[in-house]
Amino acid sequence: MLAILRPDSWNFPLFLHVLGAIVLVGAVAATLLAASRSNDSALLRGVAFRTLLIVALPGWVLMRFAGEWINSREDIPGDPGWLSTGYIVGDMGLVILLVATIVGWWSTRRPERVWPARTVTVLAAIYLVALLVAMFAMSGKPGA
Amino acid sequence: MDRYHWLLVFHVAGAFLLLGGAVVAGVFNIAAIRRERPSDVALLLGLTRWAVIAISAGLLLTIAFGLWLVHDAGYGFGDAWIVSSLVLWALSGFLGSRGGRMQQETRILAERLAAEGDAPSQELRARLHDRVAIALRWSSGFAALAILALMIWQPGG
Repeated sequence: MLAILRPDSWNFPLFLHVLGAIVLVGAVAATLLAASRSNDSALLRGVAFRTLLIVALPGWVLMRFAGEWINSREDIPGDPGWLSTGYIVGDMGLVILLVATIVGWWSTRRPERVWPARTVTVLAAIYLVALLVAMFAMSGKPGA
Repeated sequence: MDRYHWLLVFHVAGAFLLLGGAVVAGVFNIAAIRRERPSDVALLLGLTRWAVIAISAGLLLTIAFGLWLVHDAGYGFGDAWIVSSLVLWALSGFLGSRGGRMQQETRILAERLAAEGDAPSQELRARLHDRVAIALRWSSGFAALAILALMIWQPGG
């Protein structure tokens, strides 16, 4: 029910795009949960770091490249706000993910320090909210 | 935004809660399987409770707004892809609840062992690697993923 009318050739890239976005949202949520409870837990810091590295970043790659694949086929005229929102959240998200992954790695190396885990928590929370805004924009297409 | 797009937003939000919650549960389950200390297992499986809340909310949102969308957009309730999706939705929920119940028993065992000295246990290890429990959880996730594919391809629609 993602669209009433859509050429069949868009289905596979759309499936990959949505799958990547879902994996990304789930991985960021798991990172947020693990990092927010990891002040004195090396185990949860490790889980947060590995989730970013092994799940969130591949999810981002799948979401972003499949999205570009659909956009190349769809050839949307102009620059609608919902599409710009998706691009901004997608591209800024890579920066946030990379910083969070580096800080997350640092937090596993320096378990006595609290700030790295808190930084990962804040970055994951910000990105999760941004992803939900993008999900709203991409599915509702306000202003279209 | 018209009504169709509002319904779609809530339906998609439900799908993200359902499948995103499954990813969260998968992350903590896989991490728990690799641990030996009961306190570590209890900590990780305890976090999956948030995933259960997300999955439950996702199941409700997808079915409620999905059925409303079928009515609103003029799809047929007898269309093959809609009937298949409803069957898979029920199957995913059933398998997930069975697998989740087994996982809850494992978490309770881990919490008890953690309170009794936190020594590695053969029983806990066996429960974590129980093939039936793992198969139930993965099958539930794949059924939900198959619904996503049906929503996009809409075969016979």
